[in-house]
Amino acid sequence: MSATMYSETEVVIVPKRRRREQRQGTRPRRAGVLSFGHWWWALPGIVLVIGIHYVATAVGGAYAFTDWTGIGAFHWIGLDNFVAIFQDPTKIGALGNTLFLAIASVLLTNVIGLGLALGLNRLIKTRYALRVLFFMPVVLSPLAVSYIWKFIFDFNGPINAILNSLGLQSWVRPWLADPSFAIWAVLVVIVWQQTGFAMVIYMAGLAAVPPEIEEAAAIDGAGLWQRFWHVVLPAIRPAVAIATTLGIVNGLRIFDQIMALTNGGPAGATETLATQVYKQAFSLGNFGYGAALALLLALIILIFAVIQQRLTASRPEEA
Amino acid sequence: MSQHHRSRVVRTGLVAAAAAGALILAGCSGAGDDNAASTGFTLSYAVTNSAVVAPYKALAEAYMKENPDVKITLNEVPNDSYGQTLTTQLNAGNASDAFQTAPGVGQTYSTVTLAKAGLLEPLADSATKVIPSGSESQFEVEGDTFGVALGLTFVGSVLNATTAKSAGFTYPTDWDGLISSCKDVAAKGKSLFVLAGSMPPNTGLMAMSISATRVYADDPTWNEERAVDKTTFASSQGWKNTLEDIVDMNKAGCFQKGVQGAGFDSITSNMLQGSSLAAFVPSGSASDLKQNAKDQEFQIQAIPPAAGGKAFGIAGADYALSISKKSKNKAAAQKFADWVATADGQKVFADAAGSLPVGQDLSDTPFAPVADIVDKGDFVPLPNASWPNAAVYDALGSGVQGLLTGQKTVDQVLADMDKAWG
Repeated sequence: MSATMYSETEVVIVPKRRRREQRQGTRPRRAGVLSFGHWWWALPGIVLVIGIHYVATAVGGAYAFTDWTGIGAFHWIGLDNFVAIFQDPTKIGALGNTLFLAIASVLLTNVIGLGLALGLNRLIKTRYALRVLFFMPVVLSPLAVSYIWKFIFDFNGPINAILNSLGLQSWVRPWLADPSFAIWAVLVVIVWQQTGFAMVIYMAGLAAVPPEIEEAAAIDGAGLWQRFWHVVLPAIRPAVAIATTLGIVNGLRIFDQIMALTNGGPAGATETLATQVYKQAFSLGNFGYGAALALLLALIILIFAVIQQRLTASRPEEA
Repeated sequence: MSQHHRSRVVRTGLVAAAAAGALILAGCSGAGDDNAASTGFTLSYAVTNSAVVAPYKALAEAYMKENPDVKITLNEVPNDSYGQTLTTQLNAGNASDAFQTAPGVGQTYSTVTLAKAGLLEPLADSATKVIPSGSESQFEVEGDTFGVALGLTFVGSVLNATTAKSAGFTYPTDWDGLISSCKDVAAKGKSLFVLAGSMPPNTGLMAMSISATRVYADDPTWNEERAVDKTTFASSQGWKNTLEDIVDMNKAGCFQKGVQGAGFDSITSNMLQGSSLAAFVPSGSASDLKQNAKDQEFQIQAIPPAAGGKAFGIAGADYALSISKKSKNKAAAQKFADWVATADGQKVFADAAGSLPVGQDLSDTPFAPVADIVDKGDFVPLPNASWPNAAVYDALGSGVQGLLTGQKTVDQVLADMDKAWG
């Protein structure tokens, strides 16, 4: 009779003994099929993650305090590598380029991405096709995209051809080898490719904003800008947090595009910490020095990610 | 299925998987042991252009033809990542039995650097006998030889003789003549030289070519003096002249338009299409270019000396063959190295790489313009093979790019090179 107290599902998933114990209400209960498994079943995965990821990273970080060249023996040299980094103007320049590209790209991609998301959120009939077009660069290989842009920026490429045809010969230049323009050219490529990603995140955020709230604000006399600033933007704050955090982390470790477009040139004008890590560790055989640069880059990414999270985190009362 | 029965099935499966894994691993290790007595071995080398036959491949194929019982497994590695790949494999103990190295100490895969790290197997006397005179320090460590010298390369420029002839151009023999030729050729819409200005290896090679007459003609032991701090780049008038000459060349229009951003592809396209007459590439590149344009002729040219200077060049073995210390097929690899050191082996490599044919009459070869320099022995080995690390050559290469873009001065570049020297 008591069995009829259980639903169809409970009959299947709750062990008979548990049901009996429930009836008696005295002895401790054993987990049923729903809590199938034990924590130690995850041990192989945990060991692999710790061994392959964290231990390997820690060991790699330890090389930052050595003079290892990539082959043979090494000596512990304390903080010498870090001192050398901060005494080298080219490394300070690389640090400046890293921060410039990260901050400028996150600002531009988010502002443009949010603008596109707002524009393509409702109303426009062709919005689905346009969304695909704007998102397309994100799915392309950064290397392939960079080589196409390299051709565009080439001295014999289309930009200079157009300038020549317009009679603007004085503007013609090797864009990627011009010390003043090269870093901006790299920024253009990064923004072009990353904007679609920010747009998608903001579109997901905007989808959760009820139109009724905006309508209510409009009825109350709020203008377009007021509705955006006081209604929409607070509502998509989680999307802002995600888009900017991912943007700043990706911006700080930009590598592929620079290697393909300028290889850090001209004469180091577009070097970043990421390209310097590769160059020092693998091209020039200064593995210890490269590891120190990598550690520094990881630290900067961590600091920026934490600051970013703090700035964009929702207030408790909004949660 | 009861919980108890399910657990037993899972346990049985885990035991079976572990046993299978152990058997597979045992099988792998057994296969390695069996190779100890094999006549086969593996060979790694860098490749730059799939359209051109790598000279190491030519060596392997010729050796296997002579020795049908030998099987050489070829591992071709892209040139850009060759040093990184080789050092990683050597550290891991899974490098090929034999592989390409670079003579001296200037690169991450340099013969002496790897030998000092205890990663290379000493070679037989046959390898010692083919070391070019004056280049012993680039192959030997404490009396042992660790690389078979291959491909005597002349570092100057490669001239497209067919294009030059049709343009009525004669290669100049003095520096003033070269500067005025640059202006004449530029006036015709071409450039005398094509340079991969965004590629430090190419800009560095150009600077080294010019330094032959400015630095090493007067003082062939300059590198040794720099090594003991008797001189520096910054205090060397020869090196200062070298870099100032590059600035003058740029002003005179010696290079193609947009040189600062040009890559290696510009060299091939400009040389084959006739928009540039010459390039700063190793002599072996003449052979590569010829393979791509069989109707055109290419010549090796030395860089003209400054007024009052003498003709001088840079020539030396650009390649080497070494054997891994941890090779399981040392005997087979050593036999191959012995054959590579013979006249037959050296000829196979020289033909495939377009290297300098030592001891032969050069008058009917692409080396005819530099025959006099070679015959007199007026050359030194590649300077950067004696520099202590790759950063010095990188500082030179990227520094020259800075000279072309106006980012750096001659003094800054020389100071950077001294700093990189350490």
